[in-house]
Amino acid sequence: MDAFTDLVRSYRERLLRFLLTRCATYADAEDALQDTLINAYRYLHSYDARWRFSTWLYRIAINNAARLQSPEVVELGELRDEESDPLLQCIGASDSENLWVTARRLLNDDVYAAMWLRYSEDMSVNDISLALDRSVSWTKVNLLRGRRALDAGMNGGSKESEAYG
Amino acid sequence: MDKLAKRLREDADKIEVSVSDELDQRITASLRGVTPEGHAGARRERAKPLGFWWASSLTGIAAAAAVIVIINLQQAEEAPQATPTDVVAAVPVIDLQAETAALTGPLQQELENLQADIRKAEEKVKKDIGL
Repeated sequence: MDAFTDLVRSYRERLLRFLLTRCATYADAEDALQDTLINAYRYLHSYDARWRFSTWLYRIAINNAARLQSPEVVELGELRDEESDPLLQCIGASDSENLWVTARRLLNDDVYAAMWLRYSEDMSVNDISLALDRSVSWTKVNLLRGRRALDAGMNGGSKESEAYG
Repeated sequence: MDKLAKRLREDADKIEVSVSDELDQRITASLRGVTPEGHAGARRERAKPLGFWWASSLTGIAAAAAVIVIINLQQAEEAPQATPTDVVAAVPVIDLQAETAALTGPLQQELENLQADIRKAEEKVKKDIGL
C-alpha cells in the first residue's frame, strides 16, 4: 500500500486539477480524487502494462467524475454558481481570461477532456482515445474541432456559434 | 508548440490546487481499508481449478481402485461354487440313463423290426430258388 501511495503521489494534484474542471464543487472533486485512487488500488490487477499509468488513472478519474455528475447538476450547468465554481476559485480573480474556462463553456465534456489530456498532460492521441474509450479517429477529429472552437473564442467570440460540443 | 497549445498549457498551470493534509489523511485511511482484489482473487482463481483437478483425479483413482477390489473379492468368494465337477455331481445319473433309454428305445425297436423283415425276405428267397 505504501508503494502505491508513493506511486500516485505525483499524480494527485494533476488529477485534482483536472477533476476541478469537471465537478460542481471542490468537495466533489476531492471525493472524485479519493474514489479514483481507491479504485485504482483495488483494481490494480486489471492494469494493463501496455498503457501509461497516467492514462489508466485518468480513465478511472473520468468515469468517477461522470458518476458524480447527477442529472440535476447537468441540467443546472448553465446556472452554475460562480462563487462555488471550483475552477474559478482556483484560478483567482486575476486570471478571469483563463482559456480553460472558455473551453468548458464551449466544449462538451468529452471534447474538453480530450483537449485537457492533449494540451495539459501532453498525452498522445492513442492514449487519449484509450482514456476516453473513444476511437482514434474520434479523438483526432474532436481535438481539431476543439481547437477551432477555442481559436474562435480567443478571437473575440465572433465564431462561437461554430463551437463544437 | 503553437500559440494555442502554449496558452492552454500555461493556463492549466495557473489553476492552483493542492492536496490538503486532511484530504491526504483521508485518502491514506481509505487506502488502508481497501484490499486489492487482484492478488487474492487471482490466487483463488488459480488455486480453485488446480485443487479441483487434483480432487477429481484422486476421486477417480479411488473409485477405480474400489471397483477393482470389489470385483476381486466377489470372484474369490464365488470361485469354489463354480467347478464343473459340482455341476456333474448335481445331475442324477439315473435320470440321464432313463432319458437315454427313452430317446433310443423306439429306434432300437425299429432296427429289430427291420432285421426281422430282412430275415423273412431271405427265407422267402431261399424257398423260391429251391435251396
